[in-house]
Amino acid sequence: MCLHGCGIRVHVEDGVVTKIEGDPTNADNLGKLCPKGNAGMLRLYDPKRVKAPMVRTNPRKGPKEDPGWREISWDEAMDLVTEKLKPIRDTDPRKLVVASGDFQRIFNWAWPAAFGSPHFFSTVGQYCGAAYHPINGITDTSFAAVNDYEYCKYWLQVGAGDGFSSHLHLSGSAKRMADARMNGMRVVTVEPRMSPAAAKADEWVPIRPGTDRAFALGLMHSMVFEHKLYDAEFLRARTNAPYLIGTDGTYALSSDGKAMVWDVAVGRAREWDDPDISEIALEGRYEVNGAACATGFQLFLDILEGHTPERMETICTVPAATMRRLACELGEAAHIGETIVIEGKEYPYRPAAVNYYRGAIAHKDGGQDSMALKMINTLLGNIDVPGGHLGVPLDLRGFFIEPGEHGMLKPQPHILHPPVPFKFPADSLQMMEWFPLGMDAGHVAVDAILNPERYRLDYTPEVLLTYHSNPVWNMPAPDKVRRALGKFDYIISIDVVVNPTTEWADLILPDHTYLESTVAVSLEPPVVKGLALRQAVIPPLYDTRDATEILIDIAERCGFLDVWNGYLSFLLGLTVREDLVLAGDRKYSNEELIDRMCRAAYDDDHDLEWFKANGNMVTKRNAAETYLPYDGLRIPFYYETIKEAGIRLETQFQGTGYEWDTSAYVALPAWSDGPIHGDDAEYPLYAITFKTAETNFAETMSIPVISELTRGAAQTRGVLLNPSTARNYGIAEGDSIQIVSRFGHVEGKAALTEGVHPDVVAVGNAITGNGRKLGTHFNALLPSELEYTDIFSGALESVARVQVRKLAKEGAA
Amino acid sequence: MTRWGMVIDLARCIGCNACTVACKIENGTPPDHYWARVYTEERGTFPDTKVTYVPALCNHCEDPPCVTVCPTGASYRRADGIVLVDRNKCIGCRACMMACPYSNRFFLRKRALKGGYYGERTVYEDAKWKWFVGGTVTKCTFCVHRVDKGLEPACVITCPTEARVFGDLADPESKPSVLIRKRNGKQPLPEMGTKPSVYYVE
Repeated sequence: MCLHGCGIRVHVEDGVVTKIEGDPTNADNLGKLCPKGNAGMLRLYDPKRVKAPMVRTNPRKGPKEDPGWREISWDEAMDLVTEKLKPIRDTDPRKLVVASGDFQRIFNWAWPAAFGSPHFFSTVGQYCGAAYHPINGITDTSFAAVNDYEYCKYWLQVGAGDGFSSHLHLSGSAKRMADARMNGMRVVTVEPRMSPAAAKADEWVPIRPGTDRAFALGLMHSMVFEHKLYDAEFLRARTNAPYLIGTDGTYALSSDGKAMVWDVAVGRAREWDDPDISEIALEGRYEVNGAACATGFQLFLDILEGHTPERMETICTVPAATMRRLACELGEAAHIGETIVIEGKEYPYRPAAVNYYRGAIAHKDGGQDSMALKMINTLLGNIDVPGGHLGVPLDLRGFFIEPGEHGMLKPQPHILHPPVPFKFPADSLQMMEWFPLGMDAGHVAVDAILNPERYRLDYTPEVLLTYHSNPVWNMPAPDKVRRALGKFDYIISIDVVVNPTTEWADLILPDHTYLESTVAVSLEPPVVKGLALRQAVIPPLYDTRDATEILIDIAERCGFLDVWNGYLSFLLGLTVREDLVLAGDRKYSNEELIDRMCRAAYDDDHDLEWFKANGNMVTKRNAAETYLPYDGLRIPFYYETIKEAGIRLETQFQGTGYEWDTSAYVALPAWSDGPIHGDDAEYPLYAITFKTAETNFAETMSIPVISELTRGAAQTRGVLLNPSTARNYGIAEGDSIQIVSRFGHVEGKAALTEGVHPDVVAVGNAITGNGRKLGTHFNALLPSELEYTDIFSGALESVARVQVRKLAKEGAA
Repeated sequence: MTRWGMVIDLARCIGCNACTVACKIENGTPPDHYWARVYTEERGTFPDTKVTYVPALCNHCEDPPCVTVCPTGASYRRADGIVLVDRNKCIGCRACMMACPYSNRFFLRKRALKGGYYGERTVYEDAKWKWFVGGTVTKCTFCVHRVDKGLEPACVITCPTEARVFGDLADPESKPSVLIRKRNGKQPLPEMGTKPSVYYVE
């Protein structure tokens, strides 16, 4: 239902789950619980749950076909799976394609790799974090990031729901945000829509969708050139901003291969770690060994110069005067130069920061969007310091701190899985071999299945396995996804309820719900660390099996149990203790695995039994773990890693005769119009989608209490339009309307509000479908082509240019 | 004597509806019965728009008009201020619904208990709905079954921003009393003379 694993306590009366509450002993959510969490047991009792393995009897597939499900035994089901998968495993494992979406058991996402299948056929960030995670990982080895709830005093929120409606651990974050606001923190929210973050902010700054980078650049222009409010000392001492950059965009190196800085005192370049350096130049163009170079910061200034607030206003619609005022407020609130002592150690104190997420960065140039917003923080010197913008590690392992080259913290763009080496043609359908820094762009896999020649595929996928994933609903261009599904010979689904994808399956293997199964969880928690146990509170209601055990069983039947056990030992963190590492040939139960996972994370006293009795080991991270945990290593201001990766990729493609655009691999952000920008007479409006608290991971729309609630709610009663825009099209509240993009159309009811930018058509995810049926399915407006994909990060353009029109009333002409 | 009451902090509330759902599940209320809910109030025109989230529940009034008009004595006010409906006495005349100026009462049709949330009754509804009698009026009970055990109402404990503060209004040092004093708590529709036990602070 959710990836974030807030602690819950479950009431069971006479064997029936009757109530779910927040666990007050869990330092993460502090006894609080979001609306979804409160309603969770209705998923358990959904009459449409898959109650036993089922095969389809109707060979015709499609949304209008009744699959004619017939229940079969687990033995029969697993024999069918083996019959389909074993020959593929033995000959060409690439012919199996897997779609995974079970975040709490994220270790199972590696199961396809153990099988030998390199594909990813679902969303893992193309609308949300694809452009965010690599920039975080390259900056400070974090997976996510959020401003410091405890010390921040000026919070500029750009396209994010943190603390108000979505993203990292909402229940606890909402409490921390409310406390901070009540203690006087100022919140300014930049967003096209009056979201809860905007409603609660001291100031709402409406912006045209997909132009947040222009806002960031205009703001930085004013900060740097007009207000001169930035932390030069931080940039000089703790980042690569002063490193000299050659004309190819990479570091100018000394004869010993070391990055250099310009020493103003002696008027020459020196290696970055030369102990005799007296004064490092932050700015300037120089000549070193006959070659022109400039500091990274100088190159930034050169780009920034043309990004005046006036010019950026024409792109993002935020008045230049507002950008100037916010730049000044933010810079002054950052207390540049001040320090604070926490837990006995002195840190820089920068209580002003920009917090951003998917609304700002899930775009064609998402990497640059993400970079530009992050750089506002770097300019303020607030990265990982009290009051500033803090990295949030993926899990228990925390930050991945290793010294990199040239005195830098080693970049960690790949936190979900190791980088995939370049290969041509690629093995993976999402072309992961061609994304050296980005995330798996599942929608590219759809494009590749339909256009194999375009991607030079040298094999044909045969079987699809979906695992808690609903690609028809969660991927762009659902018609294309359906056509891709039609290409598979056989589809196997592991899930809890039937959804628009599983209805294409040939075989469904039913999993337990989260209230019937056991796993230990720790995923991107801000503020806290530690495992929490999700344990079965009642025996399974039906003839279901734990997905972890289903996958182990398939591994055994297909002859790669030893490989999968090796992966699991690594993924569950068991390699820290030899006695906990899994034996290659033994089949472990789910509970045995979780027991070892707990003991590996802590000690033998904190085994599964301890967790069953006590629930969690979640504690607040201390200052040393939170603030500058990599003290002494520099972080990037100039994203040389990205530029260098682009140059390498270009070289790798040489000789293949294949065109692959590497222009997105830049070290600094700049504005350029993408495919959705500029005047468009035919499609004048911008369609966006958004989440509300009760519909984060909106598969929960199949829970009737949640769907009932959203039907009457102001933000989700229909498609949001500004009244002035609606008037132009003759649309009134409640009218049936059609929204048309170049890629598809959807229908819905108009809901008029002054809380949306006049250029915008806003479709809440609550109305995109209810988990079983598709509704005003926003994704139908989106493309899945590479032309709309950030080739650096894998992010998809999540804004569509559209036209709207009123639909004639039924019965009218 | 105890007088149970609540203060709702509109500055804290983020309109997430955790209270709405916690109430529905705690009390197992049938579809369309929203004892706890959140209104979204929008004012102004773009870009000077203001939105306020206003959580609502029964105000457990000191002078409850719903009790006055009830012909059978089914609606009553306990000595601790909690206003309840005795299902066995309620004849479903709905006079109380007309009298309540806050629309905080709901009529439960007999057929509403047949279908259940999924169209068919689940064991969850079987367990929860035994409390309800078709053809009667339902309302927020301040989670009296919890309060009588020394616990706070479900909407209070779940609230992520702690926007709902519950306690004894008769005690001047209770959390709600202090909040009302410090931040000038206001009752809803005071002109109706109902003397609500629910206050709002901005």
